[in-house]
Amino acid sequence: MVNLEIKKMYAGYGRKHVLKNINMNVEHGDLLGVIGPNGCGKSTLIRAITGVVNSIRGDILLDGRSVREMGRKDIAKKAAVVPQNTFIGFPFTAWEVVLMGRNPYTGRFESLKEEDYERAHRAVKITGIEKLKERRVNTLSGGELQRVVIARAIAQDPKLLLLDEATAHLDIGHKIEAMDMIKKMNREEEVTVVSVHHNLDIAARYCDRLVLVDNGRIRTIGEPEEVLTPGHLRAVYGIEAEVHENPWDGTLYISPIDRKEIDRTYKKMIHVICGGGTGRKLLKTLVDKGYGVSAGVLNAMDTDMERAEFLDIDVVAEAPFSPIGKERERDNLRKIEEAETVILTDFPVGPGNLINLTAALEALRMGKRVILIEKKGIEVRDHTGGEATGLYKKMVENGVVVVTSVKEVVGMIA
Amino acid sequence: MKRSFRKRSVTTFVLLSLILFVTVMASALVGSPGVDISFARVMGIIISGLPGVGKMLPDYSGTDVIIIRQIRLPRILLGVVAGIALSVSGTSMQGIFKNPMASPFILGISAGAAFGAAVSVTLGLGMYVLPAVAFASAMGTGLMVFGLGRIHGKTDVATLLLAGLAVNFLMQSLTAYLIYLSPPEKRTSIIFWMWGSFNGTVWKEFWIVLPVVVAGILIVYVFSRELNVLQLGDESALYLGVEVEKTKMILLGAASLLAAVVVSFTGIIGFVGLIIPHATRIITGPDHKKLIPAAAVIGGIFMVLCDTISRASGEIPIGIITGLFGAPFFIYLLLRSKGETGW
Repeated sequence: MVNLEIKKMYAGYGRKHVLKNINMNVEHGDLLGVIGPNGCGKSTLIRAITGVVNSIRGDILLDGRSVREMGRKDIAKKAAVVPQNTFIGFPFTAWEVVLMGRNPYTGRFESLKEEDYERAHRAVKITGIEKLKERRVNTLSGGELQRVVIARAIAQDPKLLLLDEATAHLDIGHKIEAMDMIKKMNREEEVTVVSVHHNLDIAARYCDRLVLVDNGRIRTIGEPEEVLTPGHLRAVYGIEAEVHENPWDGTLYISPIDRKEIDRTYKKMIHVICGGGTGRKLLKTLVDKGYGVSAGVLNAMDTDMERAEFLDIDVVAEAPFSPIGKERERDNLRKIEEAETVILTDFPVGPGNLINLTAALEALRMGKRVILIEKKGIEVRDHTGGEATGLYKKMVENGVVVVTSVKEVVGMIA
Repeated sequence: MKRSFRKRSVTTFVLLSLILFVTVMASALVGSPGVDISFARVMGIIISGLPGVGKMLPDYSGTDVIIIRQIRLPRILLGVVAGIALSVSGTSMQGIFKNPMASPFILGISAGAAFGAAVSVTLGLGMYVLPAVAFASAMGTGLMVFGLGRIHGKTDVATLLLAGLAVNFLMQSLTAYLIYLSPPEKRTSIIFWMWGSFNGTVWKEFWIVLPVVVAGILIVYVFSRELNVLQLGDESALYLGVEVEKTKMILLGAASLLAAVVVSFTGIIGFVGLIIPHATRIITGPDHKKLIPAAAVIGGIFMVLCDTISRASGEIPIGIITGLFGAPFFIYLLLRSKGETGW
């Protein structure tokens, strides 16, 4: 059972305190992620917990015992650390390195016991490095070596596993594999884990709780939803980011946004009629080119709708999966009136959004320029039993311009 | 599998010890040019001289008994002990510095001893005082480097290395200055001392050196697991429960003591402490539990062989022989093992 308590801790090197007034508790069985920008003190936190920094104030209690009063071997029996990099000077075999994890349990005049070999074997099995056992560590790849080092930490039988960006140098496959393994240890063997992460997506995906460190202080601590907010990300990392939910498992992921100063004095207003994802590329291109863009009518939760919201586009929106109502139609026509050009994509047309084609026809009648980007013909998109095709023909009669790519549109409206 | 592993390293050790024994015996047969004693007589003289055995055998007499018992044997056995000491010292230093280029003399032990010897010769102190002065100077130099290498209460390996380099040069310059000031005959004896020799070893020297070396080796061996863990880096070693500072201090002390006590009696013998750990690592791998005993015995064998060559060649200084014969052998090992052990 490990319960880590940090009280009013200041820690650092020499006279400089990197960490200031740290107070936190890690409960038995927690999987806590530590995040924060470079140099904020994440690694120092790991070092301070194991009593490795040379300047420290305040209290760190492992299971109620102060780390400062514990011998190195006692600390090593409770907490194991996997650093980001390990350089091993002499060509030991992987197995020899794993066995070193048993050092805390071996007295000065003792040699390794049966139990030590068993624990080391188990660690090899958990990390799946059976094939690497007899290899010399200088012949291993970075990823293989890191797995050996993780195995060494597991052989240590820790109650608290501290990872200092332990998976930073692993490729995505090995990263996921290593984190899955660590999560399994956490769940099945109740090993408490504190892991430092640079990768916020990995942190959000694997950790039960996150602590955000900023400039040596804890900014916030809580569940990923509470910690990974656009506001925190802006304040600590200085980025604009969207936080999304992974549709697979509901974990969070971060999309940093390139929000160059958007020129709010638009060149021209463009209204886009799209839906079902047919307008994604167009919307982004128009915003990037500096046009004032509106769109409609879109159903909430439509792919194009999400993109439009993401791009801060003025949208006429209807409730999810509902036919477009009279009111929205009126709003849409107003937007069309304000626009210089109306662009239509080749969205599928059903009874619910047929009214969008009527709106386009109306635009033509108002004398607006209407451009249709069409890759799929109306025959395949018409789910109204011919009504849409009828409207399409009328649009052609009224002078709609048909093109096949976004690029062409850009050329025309410039 | 781990059993056979252990068995194999024990076998290696026994085999090496046997080779050492044979080497010692063979060396006792070899004398200065012109002195020729038969195999049977040499063996008889040695065996009858063993405590407890002597009374059961007819006693030997004559100058050859004195040559074997009072000249060759103490010299050969001091060679064994010196080889063991320098080799274990080098192994320990390479482990502490995590660097295969480290040698027993990295803290300035040899330069310090040489300075002490030069002072003794210059002042005309007796031949029994010289080792004491050399030893004191060697340990003093080592302590100075150690003190300089510590920052913020931590032994920083890089700083230690640089401090060792600087102090080495300082002591060498001081020694050279003394040589420069000395009259020719003293100059010669200082220079000869610096090349190392087992010539004229008496039992008393062997009995002084032996207990110190035994103690030093035991200390290093007891810390062999810590030496292994230190190879993962100081921080990782701390995480694995090693009191890194304490361990380093003890090991640096023991390794320096081993080198200093030998060098102050024999003069500077290079190469052994640098190369034997390497050569042994090719055979045993880097695990200090196996490496230290094997390196000790191989160091002993190598030193006796070199001293035998020295004796047979009319006392070419041993410091010259070790490099002259050891270097080509080591290059051969390197070429053979290319890529297998990583060094």
